[in-house]
Amino acid sequence: MREKGKRGGEDSRGGDELAVDRFALVEVIPSGRDFVFLDAERCTGCGNCVAICPMDLWRMRGGRAELAEGYREVCVECGSCFIACEAGAVDFTYPPGGTGVAYRYA
Amino acid sequence: MKRYDLIVVGAGPGGSVAAMTAAEAGMEVLLLERSRYPGEKNASGFALSTKAWRDFPFIAELDLPSMRYNRLCVAHFLSPPPEMEERFTISSGPSRRMSYPEARDFFTAGMLRREFDQWVAEKARAAGATLMLESLVTGLRRESGRVAGVVLEGGEEFAAPVVIGADGVLSVTARLSGLRTKWRPDQVISACAVDYAAPRERMDDVVHEAGFQAYFGPGIGGNYLVAYADGLHLGGPGVTNSLVSRLNRSHIKPARELLDTLQAPPTRRLLRALGARPREWQAHLLPWMDRMPTNIHSGGLMLVGDAAGLPEPLYAEGVWQAMYSGRLAAQVARECEEEGDVSAASLARYLERLEESPVGKEFVGGAELRRLFEIMGDPGLSRELTELAVDMTVNLFMSAQEPKAECVARALPLLAENLPLLMEVARIYLPMLLEVEGERLRGYLAAVKGLAALLGGSAGSAWDEGDKAEGGPR
Repeated sequence: MREKGKRGGEDSRGGDELAVDRFALVEVIPSGRDFVFLDAERCTGCGNCVAICPMDLWRMRGGRAELAEGYREVCVECGSCFIACEAGAVDFTYPPGGTGVAYRYA
Repeated sequence: MKRYDLIVVGAGPGGSVAAMTAAEAGMEVLLLERSRYPGEKNASGFALSTKAWRDFPFIAELDLPSMRYNRLCVAHFLSPPPEMEERFTISSGPSRRMSYPEARDFFTAGMLRREFDQWVAEKARAAGATLMLESLVTGLRRESGRVAGVVLEGGEEFAAPVVIGADGVLSVTARLSGLRTKWRPDQVISACAVDYAAPRERMDDVVHEAGFQAYFGPGIGGNYLVAYADGLHLGGPGVTNSLVSRLNRSHIKPARELLDTLQAPPTRRLLRALGARPREWQAHLLPWMDRMPTNIHSGGLMLVGDAAGLPEPLYAEGVWQAMYSGRLAAQVARECEEEGDVSAASLARYLERLEESPVGKEFVGGAELRRLFEIMGDPGLSRELTELAVDMTVNLFMSAQEPKAECVARALPLLAENLPLLMEVARIYLPMLLEVEGERLRGYLAAVKGLAALLGGSAGSAWDEGDKAEGGPR
């Protein structure tokens, strides 16, 4: 299990106690299985996935979308990329039972 | 292969109420949940409305550590960035005109889904349902074309005449059954939220029972604050601004927009006064439909809650809807199984009853309610409405800056001056009024028309036009 607070700084604003560091504030129980799939052939390079991902896990490279390699450790399973992709290039399932994002309020 | 009378996929409030209802009626029920415990996957910012107290007797026992009753709803209207300061604020307690006692007492109770979902699932378990955790459904069993059970990720199969899909906005059962491949981008909103911890005493002193607060302003389409006993949840980027289609079009990043609007000085002052510390970052999709979806059942399958797209069209409130539809689906499952017919035609009574229920009635005026939020998210309109509210309030009630009589006299011309703006708002409310009170309104109009005729008024042609429109809005 990846502990909270291991990464940081990315979203810090003014460096105060209210700074929100998304990556430090998400806890994910990693699984060995993929659950977001990109069909690069169908990608039109529209960039919707890049805009919508609340964890910034997509980027454009050579006019096509690319999913961060380590997404399984930070993806919060919102499925926004799947809905936002109007080219039908992104598919989303769920990670195996008992894994993935865990909201603990702690 | 184990057989059940009913399989419920998803142990959120909808699934657990479905399982509880069926188990109480003597059915053998399997309740499947993919996470380690119910509520683990659910982004919060959750407040249960009094409708749950009205409709579910067992909710009277609800008493969770994180609960905070909300008896004061607050709407903040902020000036444009970069200031984003308070320009106008409305706050109100419950109305004495509401039709049941809880609604006259409070609006909602904020609580953590982690606690609430486990509490409801425990009710289902106590009623006799079998709860299986860490169990991901990846397939549906079929018998003579109908859904007749589920297949888990590991290949294990369970059979039942009816399956209830209570598996959320990205419902696997909806997809596997072919009822829906995926939502269109204009049917869902992308909500992000920061969950903060704050000491209970400070929450009591500073927030007290102002448990639901919304922030509007040019570029802020309704961020929201939900308070718990010892923390709070700040979500956004508002219902309006987070419609996926809109985010796609403008390539606004919802996460960035929320983080930016959390920099608004009133928000920061509140968080500092509370000694709040960010505790969790959450993101979730919510269905936001302007009319009740109708494609929510097939042979052997009924969808409930978010899986069916039932959150109401103003705030996207969805937990009470999930509970209500979950109970109804369980009742229909029992009836149809007793009759020995679980075909799509037989289960269609689920949709019919849901449309006539309070859940269906929430969709009356749905398109107009969505438009209301669009107005509030529109930078120009939002600013004009806010300034009109300020002008009216200051001139009628507050001014010590100029002679009072002159200020009061200014109010009526101000309204006239802003008629086009007020018409925008009227265009939202009038169709809703016509839909629920059409007969009575037409009665009034007829009476006025009669009176005008008696007085020999010249209004004839205008009323004739009104007659043509009497077919109503639908």
